[in-house]
Amino acid sequence: MDERPHKPHRPSQSGAKAEKKDKGKGKEKQHGFNEKAFAPKSGRRADRQGRRNVERDQTRLHVPLVNRTPDSEPPPVIIAIVGPPGVGKTTLLKSLVRRYTKQTLNEVKGPVTVVSGKKRRLTFIECNNDLNSMIDIGKIADLVLLMIDGSFGFEMETFEFLNVLQSHGFPKVIGILTHLDLIKKAATLKDTKKALKKRFWTEIYQGAKLFYLSGVLNGRYPDTEIMNLSRFVSVMKFRPLVFRNAHPYLLADRIEDLTPREQVRQSKGKCDRNVTVYGYVRGTNLRLGTKVHIPGVGDLDMKSVTILGDPCPLPDADSEKRRKLSEKKKLLIHAPMSDIGGVMYDKDAVWINVPGSFTRGNADVPQGEGEQMVMDLQDAGATLEDGVAQSHIRLFGSSSKHLTVEAPADNDESDGYEDESGDEEEDESGIDSDDGSEGEDEDNVPDPHSTGRSSRRDVRRTLPTASTSKIQRADVEYAESDSDLGDEDEDEEMGKRFRMEDGDRLDIPSDDDMMDEGEDEDEAAPKWKANLAAKAQAASSSSRRRKDWMKLIYSSELTPEEVLAGKEERSADVEGEDGDDDDDFFRLQPATNKNEDEEVDSSKEMWKEEDLKKWEDDEVLDSIRGLFITGPAVQDGGEAEGYEDAEEAGGDFEDLEAGDDAPAPSASEPMKAESSRAAALAAKKEELKRKFDEQYDDPESSKVDFYTEKKDEISRQLQLNIEEFRDVSAESRALVEGFRPGTYVRIEFVDVPCEMIEHFDPAYPIIVGGLLPAEERFGYVQVRIKRHRWYVKTLKTNDPLIFSLGWRRFQSVPIYSLDDHSIRMRMLKYTPEHMHCYATFYGPVSLPNTGFCAFNSLSADTPGFRVSATGVVLDIDRSVKIVKKIKLTGVPYKIFKNTAFVRDMFSTALEVAKFEGANIRTVSGIRGQVKKGLSKPDGAFRATFEDKVLKSDIIFLRAWYSIQPRKFYNPVTSLLLSDKSQWAGMRLTGQVRREEGIKTPLNVNSTYKRIERPERRFNPLIIPKKLQAALPYASKPRIMKPQRQQTYMQKRAVVMEPEERKAVALLQQIRALRKDQVVRRREKKSEKKMEHLKKVEKDEEKKNEKVKERKKEVMRATGRKSKREAEAEEGRGSKRRKT
Amino acid sequence: MAQTTTGLVQFSGHQHLRLRLVLSLLSGKAVRIDKIRSEDKNPGLRDFEISLLRLLEKVTNGTVIEISVTGTAVLLKPGIISGGPLTHDCPLSRSIGYFLEPIIMLAPFAKKPLQLTLRGITTDDHDLSVDIFRTVTLPHLQLFGISDGLELRIKKRGAPPAGGGEVQFLCPIVKQVKTLNFVEPGKIKRIRGIAHAVRVNPQFSNRMIEASRSVLNRYIPDIYLYSDVYKGEESGKSPGYALSLLAESTTSALHCSEAISQPGVAPEDVALQATRALLAEIDKGGCVDRQHQTLVLLMMVLGSEDVGRCRMGEPTPRTIQFLRDVRSFFGTSFKIVAADPLEKECSHLLYSCYGTGYINSNRTLA
Repeated sequence: MDERPHKPHRPSQSGAKAEKKDKGKGKEKQHGFNEKAFAPKSGRRADRQGRRNVERDQTRLHVPLVNRTPDSEPPPVIIAIVGPPGVGKTTLLKSLVRRYTKQTLNEVKGPVTVVSGKKRRLTFIECNNDLNSMIDIGKIADLVLLMIDGSFGFEMETFEFLNVLQSHGFPKVIGILTHLDLIKKAATLKDTKKALKKRFWTEIYQGAKLFYLSGVLNGRYPDTEIMNLSRFVSVMKFRPLVFRNAHPYLLADRIEDLTPREQVRQSKGKCDRNVTVYGYVRGTNLRLGTKVHIPGVGDLDMKSVTILGDPCPLPDADSEKRRKLSEKKKLLIHAPMSDIGGVMYDKDAVWINVPGSFTRGNADVPQGEGEQMVMDLQDAGATLEDGVAQSHIRLFGSSSKHLTVEAPADNDESDGYEDESGDEEEDESGIDSDDGSEGEDEDNVPDPHSTGRSSRRDVRRTLPTASTSKIQRADVEYAESDSDLGDEDEDEEMGKRFRMEDGDRLDIPSDDDMMDEGEDEDEAAPKWKANLAAKAQAASSSSRRRKDWMKLIYSSELTPEEVLAGKEERSADVEGEDGDDDDDFFRLQPATNKNEDEEVDSSKEMWKEEDLKKWEDDEVLDSIRGLFITGPAVQDGGEAEGYEDAEEAGGDFEDLEAGDDAPAPSASEPMKAESSRAAALAAKKEELKRKFDEQYDDPESSKVDFYTEKKDEISRQLQLNIEEFRDVSAESRALVEGFRPGTYVRIEFVDVPCEMIEHFDPAYPIIVGGLLPAEERFGYVQVRIKRHRWYVKTLKTNDPLIFSLGWRRFQSVPIYSLDDHSIRMRMLKYTPEHMHCYATFYGPVSLPNTGFCAFNSLSADTPGFRVSATGVVLDIDRSVKIVKKIKLTGVPYKIFKNTAFVRDMFSTALEVAKFEGANIRTVSGIRGQVKKGLSKPDGAFRATFEDKVLKSDIIFLRAWYSIQPRKFYNPVTSLLLSDKSQWAGMRLTGQVRREEGIKTPLNVNSTYKRIERPERRFNPLIIPKKLQAALPYASKPRIMKPQRQQTYMQKRAVVMEPEERKAVALLQQIRALRKDQVVRRREKKSEKKMEHLKKVEKDEEKKNEKVKERKKEVMRATGRKSKREAEAEEGRGSKRRKT
Repeated sequence: MAQTTTGLVQFSGHQHLRLRLVLSLLSGKAVRIDKIRSEDKNPGLRDFEISLLRLLEKVTNGTVIEISVTGTAVLLKPGIISGGPLTHDCPLSRSIGYFLEPIIMLAPFAKKPLQLTLRGITTDDHDLSVDIFRTVTLPHLQLFGISDGLELRIKKRGAPPAGGGEVQFLCPIVKQVKTLNFVEPGKIKRIRGIAHAVRVNPQFSNRMIEASRSVLNRYIPDIYLYSDVYKGEESGKSPGYALSLLAESTTSALHCSEAISQPGVAPEDVALQATRALLAEIDKGGCVDRQHQTLVLLMMVLGSEDVGRCRMGEPTPRTIQFLRDVRSFFGTSFKIVAADPLEKECSHLLYSCYGTGYINSNRTLA
């Protein structure tokens, strides 16, 4: 064959193939950014585009807010599930919990905390349909899952809840549409979704996220839908809300009554209780000594706060290492009120509740080895103590006595009860670490069974709070340490929960441990043990050298002068009494130095004569040259470096660097010195490098805008906050800065009303809201208020209103007012229709700019929209100046030219004297002035006017009468009721009368009577003839008599000409014709009208039919709703809608 | 000494009365002070203390002050700090400084900006003179963001014993004070001073300046000592003269001293006394001098909920008691450690505390 090369392929230049290729190319090109395509065509356009971009950038910025929640260990995010009853809240909660923990909850009560990721925990809480709960939940929720019944639409409660949210800082809201499977037709479904979405967007914001959940499978929502939802939740970012960023708060996930049983029994359950609540601190730092408010209960004092081990810790590196593939192990759930986590932590005990199948009777469920082991242990007939007592172990072969159990021996690790798997088995590995809390040397043996939960405990080990631990399982206890055994016996006898009270522990740690925390820490962290001795020595040497100022100031009884004179502790026991209130009965009064007469309270610190004397010496004078800028620089020491820096930077310092210069004194000296010097050097180098970079690389980069500057400032301060107390022990840290957000604490309250415990219902959230010092006080609060446009009635002054302000819900009596030309605050009887006005009421103070909402009634059976007003706090004061107008009236009884004597305005001369010079006015508008009282009729006065007044004029004086709001404050104590939704506050007079069946008292003077006005008769003016004659012509009365005679025209008969007659006849005929035409036309018109009426009637009939149809539909829907409500009331959990 | 039951703090003794009243008004906790000079020949409150209570009642709204029959016990239930234009005549037993010091601590947290006119003695032995207030105390408030409209006008000077001086104190209100972070004392870069003389030979002030310069000139060149002579109506009712000095560092740390005329002491000696006191104060070092420790510490406590730090010298007895009182009113305790643990002879301490996040709740919105 010939060697001719093949014809090269020639791609088609036209046709379908060519186009296809081009298309492909075009697509490829679109991947990159085509600069030319978006290049502005003209300079003006470029300018406009640039401006627009800059403007858009600005809209992205938000006001920099400090986020007080720490990034490292934030508290769990509170996710509230809110919606009308029967919408599927519990189902959603169960589905979500199932998604995160692979556990199915039977019954959900109270908050449920789960770990959702490396850095995030979630607390789910279901909100019931009570408005009180909705208000409380709205104040703490970080994210609200707002559930809407797709087949029904929005309900009034949903809108009320959204309005409550709006006034207390809007958290994130995700809408969830359920029951969509009830809509069968695809088109209707689409329309419904669209309509509901539109409404939802107008309520929240355009583009708010709305989820659709279809049907229920196995009592849960479909897994894929729940997974999508959980993904949204896990990446959600939260912006700090101002109110929560200024107040500490806590959602109690557990509540315990610590009152001695005997006391309760003796008082028949009526005594005030000792109560502890447990939860994660949120918001800002919680400090002891401040008050807290529990909405629904009232203001309470915290008796003590203790840090507890985290019951639901985040996974860390250590726990991750130990994690096993078995999925059951990684899943943590903490829901003490539901009793499902199975593990409860107390200050001194851990409780394990075994639900479901993990009991002895359940033999049909296959059990793992571990479970079997635990079951066997439950079978133990005798305690360990008995066992040891009966055993015949001898330590030495020669010893005659057996080994016996005595007082506390060393704790032995017993992770033995740890078990592997099982259907309903809960993860309880967390407890195993509590046993080591005595601080005995515990070397972290890597336990193969341990999981993430155990790791957290290590940090807290030094805390005396978690000192002992008890494990209770059904009715058999396991002693972790021998020291517990004594207590355990009693427990067994009681057969119920038992808690140990340790009253002797001081709540405020003495500063001893604050300073010597080094030793404590060392024991806890074995890696530091290496240089323990060195540290101890260093610590002791440093204390010898320096005064321990904190100890001297805060925990000694020395007078300030003695402290300065260098006197050490007088006696150790004095120290403990510092905080004691009533122990001073027998205390010896410290002798005050009376002879040193009149110690002046002087702020000028005087120098002693000899101190000044030494400055006469030139050498001494020269010695401080180094402290001036002209002086020689000191070369050694970190301080000198600081000075040099100061000169270079021109007074602009890096704060953190300075922090490095001043480490804690407890550190070991030489090592610390070296390291700090190195650190200082490094910092200095860094600073120099930064400056160099700034100058030579990019001079623009150093210029930051205001926004970045502020953000940097905030982050720098937060960094400093973390750094400053890092090396202080947790106890003393809590003392200095309070309990940080994210710590799990136990708060003890005393004198809590017994009803709170008696009528406790986990379905109603318990919130502990910290109060600022100002908020503990009472005063007159002035607010800007606006009646809600959906609330149908107007609000009336002096009608009680329920406010939700700050943490509190309370009833008070507001007075509405408006600013009258900036001169006076004038009372309004009713709120204006579509306008803001002021309201002033007596109540607990809230900081200005706090939002609130108000209600007339909180009960569920109130028809219509319940949020009656919203507003914001403007001012706090101890007195108010609101006035209302009052008009005093009087009548003139004697009138001179411009002067009149007026009576009936005042009753005494004294009153007149008070109003001398006041402006008065007549009804007709003549202005005047009160001059002086008259002696004769009491209370009469002389007044002058700008014109002569009439005797019939009423004279009035406009005055202002100041009124005070009533001092009425009634907290909504809904949590203290057995039926929590039935709180009733002060009623209106009308309500009281109606309910009591009392008739309105009738004042006779107030009744309307027919006004009898006698007809005024005016007599005719008769002028005598004689006088008439004498009058000039112009003044003569012109009275005409009616004419009697016929006129000229009347006397004549008219005879028409034939022509004329014809014309007249013609006209007459024409008129007749016209008349006939009109009549016929009218007839026709009426006919047509009748026809039209008939038609209208027909239409009306049709319309009525339609209306009837619609009414039927509505009735059907309401019937459905009421049926569902009835179902819901019958039993929440058991009744499920058939799908 | 301090016992706290719910909302009531109790003290005994007449010392530290002013600071306790201020803390009570700021924290809102009622205070009860008893055993006020109960063992004294002249028991009970002095006239100036009564006058101070009157002044506090004027500055506030709703404050209830109950004094026992013997005058040895006081109960103060604080109201709100209202501010506004006010006038107060101070008794001649104490100078204006005694009254001004607590007012300065309260005024930034009032409802309306305070315009307070005080009449009495402007300079005396016990209290800070109005010059020191103007030049040193007010700049300390500027550290905390209280600056716009902060002013002290000395209208008339009044030397003891007859007084006759008049000052006007103008103070703006703030929402919240800034957190202080002041750990670098820096080096002294300038010295300023005011020598004033009333109803004496005006040459006296020049003599004082001359004497003071003779010592200070060796350190830095940036020294200005002003001679401030008031005449006629403005010079009060008694003769007197005084020198007040202040040294400012590169980081604007201020140190001050003062000396006033004594009978039979030459102006030069007065000047030397003030100068040496200033040098002693500089030698003590720190970022805040001894007179202003309490003011700075109080403002640190009232700062936002962040860590504030300040480097100062050893606390004075007043400061120590103040720190204890702060704890009983606000529950805040300070962390006090040596500023330079490496330096053996450095006596500076680093005071750090976590601010209470005090927000001026008296402030009116709109």
